[in-house]
Amino acid sequence: MNIDFEFLGDTLSKLLAAVPTTLGLFFASLIVGGMLSLVIVAMRVSPNWALNRFARGYILVFRGSPLLIQMFLVYYGLGQFPAVRESFLWPLLRVPYVCAIVSLALCTAGYTAEIIRGGLQSVPHGQIEAALACGMSRWTVLRRIIAPITLRYALPAYSTEAVLLVKSTALASLVTVWDVTGVAQQIIQRTYRTMEVFICAAAIYLVLNFIIVRALGMLEKKLSPHLRDRNATAPKKRPQATLKAVTVPRQPAHRFLNPREKTS
Amino acid sequence: MSLVQLLGFGEQGWGATLLLALLMTVVLTIAALAVGAVFGAMVAAAKLSRSRTLRIIGDAYTTLFRGIPELLIIYLFYFGGSSVMTAVGHFFGADGFIGVPPFVVGALAIGLISGSYQAEVYRSAVLAVSRGEIEAARAIGMPTATLWRRVLIPQVIRFALPGIGNVWQLSLKDSALIAVTGLAELMRTSQVAAGSTHQYFTFYMVGGALYLILTSLSNRVFERAETRIGRSFRGTLARH
Amino acid sequence: MNPSSSIALSATNIHKSFGDAHVLKGISLDAHEGDVISILGASGSGKSTFLRCINMLETPDDGEVKLAGEAIEMKRGRDGRLHPGNRKQVDRIRSQLGMVFQSFNLWSHMTVMQNVIEGPLRVQKRTRAECVEEAEQLLTKVGLYEKRDAYPAHLSGGQQQRVAIARALAMHPKVMLFDEPTSALDPELVGEVLRVMRALAEEGRTMLVVTHEMGFARHVSNRVMFLHHGQVDAEGAPDDLFNGRCSERFQQFVSSHHSRTAN
Repeated sequence: MNIDFEFLGDTLSKLLAAVPTTLGLFFASLIVGGMLSLVIVAMRVSPNWALNRFARGYILVFRGSPLLIQMFLVYYGLGQFPAVRESFLWPLLRVPYVCAIVSLALCTAGYTAEIIRGGLQSVPHGQIEAALACGMSRWTVLRRIIAPITLRYALPAYSTEAVLLVKSTALASLVTVWDVTGVAQQIIQRTYRTMEVFICAAAIYLVLNFIIVRALGMLEKKLSPHLRDRNATAPKKRPQATLKAVTVPRQPAHRFLNPREKTS
Repeated sequence: MSLVQLLGFGEQGWGATLLLALLMTVVLTIAALAVGAVFGAMVAAAKLSRSRTLRIIGDAYTTLFRGIPELLIIYLFYFGGSSVMTAVGHFFGADGFIGVPPFVVGALAIGLISGSYQAEVYRSAVLAVSRGEIEAARAIGMPTATLWRRVLIPQVIRFALPGIGNVWQLSLKDSALIAVTGLAELMRTSQVAAGSTHQYFTFYMVGGALYLILTSLSNRVFERAETRIGRSFRGTLARH
Repeated sequence: MNPSSSIALSATNIHKSFGDAHVLKGISLDAHEGDVISILGASGSGKSTFLRCINMLETPDDGEVKLAGEAIEMKRGRDGRLHPGNRKQVDRIRSQLGMVFQSFNLWSHMTVMQNVIEGPLRVQKRTRAECVEEAEQLLTKVGLYEKRDAYPAHLSGGQQQRVAIARALAMHPKVMLFDEPTSALDPELVGEVLRVMRALAEEGRTMLVVTHEMGFARHVSNRVMFLHHGQVDAEGAPDDLFNGRCSERFQQFVSSHHSRTAN
């Protein structure tokens, strides 16, 4: 088997040049979709019947239909209406890159909203009550108790969703965005050397996914010292303790300003 | 042309074509799920085995098919498969380009991908079967084949059902990507209809709605199946 | 009980129903400063519900709650049911009441130290230095200074409950509410929590304690209230109730409880 290294190198460089496009699609839809998902989940748990129903419908539609048809709807379908073509958004919406991001964001918002909702339901009710009993306003309880705990519960599931999002960016190639898959397909059609191109492109995606899973895994670990082994928070030397006036050995101030630093 | 005419079953209506395409999507997904079941079972067995090599192979399979975009895999089988077929054809004296039938490409590609998800479902289902029940069967001298048939398989099915329901939904949506091969399934047909009538919004909405109907119906079917199978187990517990 | 000391907390005619079940049928209580009141009763008698109505974790269907003379505003909503009228007032009053829960309810993503300073820092808006210093003192007081950087999951039940008490104390509460503080603990851990509660009582704190611990009710509290089917069946000094001078039902309750715990 003779491996054409020149071709491989050439292909790889062409594909790597398209990585920023893929990354752009990923991060843009991640952020926009993430923010949208917060809105959707707020509606989904709201006692307001109309908002609740809308959110349920949204999640059903975007999780129940293929991303490709959603993307084509945005790219081809919207442009059909004169109202859209004449609006101020048109210069943005006619760009394939933007359409792809809009579509990816709408789709991931639906999945992410469900993941967040699952996390919300896992927050122990007693801890919320304890916060209310302290006199915390509902907004403070959300910010200091509910959100942090939800994040910790939702991260593992979100890691899977992030990988799916990376793979979904490949569909943008079908609305004429020159991402890694788009360039790969072009090279295949011109040279018919499917295997080599496939291996290069696949490797790039695998590396991207690996990095993302690792990054989220590290974040998860950092946020969950309370789930780590007991020995990680070993007790220090016991100071002289009385019930009256207490002379406590002074700890360096920064340890309480950055309480998440590993102790000992 | 009115909406009713467009979608209807008349001469210029796309109704019949779309419904046929929907049927094609369902058949394609069933085929893919079957392929995936075979590979999934093998990979699950590999991951559960004592041999480290087999476990590594199993992990590699799932990493690859869960990490690589489905579109790329379809391109691999479609273009790559065609190259191989053409080369084989030339070897036997045939002329020109020989393509792999799109249906085969679709079933294989989506099948292998669903296989990686099914492997995980089967693996957890097997691990969930309580050891005690297996030991009890062995203790009365039940032969292995009967053990599998009467104790393991029914339990594995019960635990795997929700997961397979998810994989079915996933494959149903992934099947839309086979449109790139030109197979006349629902996505491609919507695309063709939209393109030829320039009614993009209409046909993509209809296509999306049809997919939604498929996924919602599937959901209900699986939920009912889960309840029915669960009932038999609950009944068993209640009797004791 | 010093009759001239002011009333720290008063609950008047509290009613509460859950669906068809009328759980509280008009309970009233006046707690003077320094009172340690044990609330006893069988399960279902409404004692926890009564406590939770005081800090509005449950909204009473009728009645009034006053803390240091300030009544919690209640409004009748469109559905005819009572609601707290002023959210901010409820938050403020809650911050002056300390509550200790049966299941501790420490915030699992925060260390012990962070749990104790969270309330003073975020709700009472005190400076971090001040909160930390006081937290260290309180944790030493309950005997858990060395665990200040541990997470709740790494502590035993008794340790978690003591942290919860320190957390409640950090808010400088006027009245402390204890909702069956030892019911979820293994028997050998109950003692350490009761010791802390006893120390608090001896300091002169005003405490309302829903409990099954007869020893605490008899020897530490200065008043006992016995609830039966949502009504006050007996109330008074511990000696009066425990020496059989009051309700017969109470005697039955105590004796059945003793035979159960074999104490």
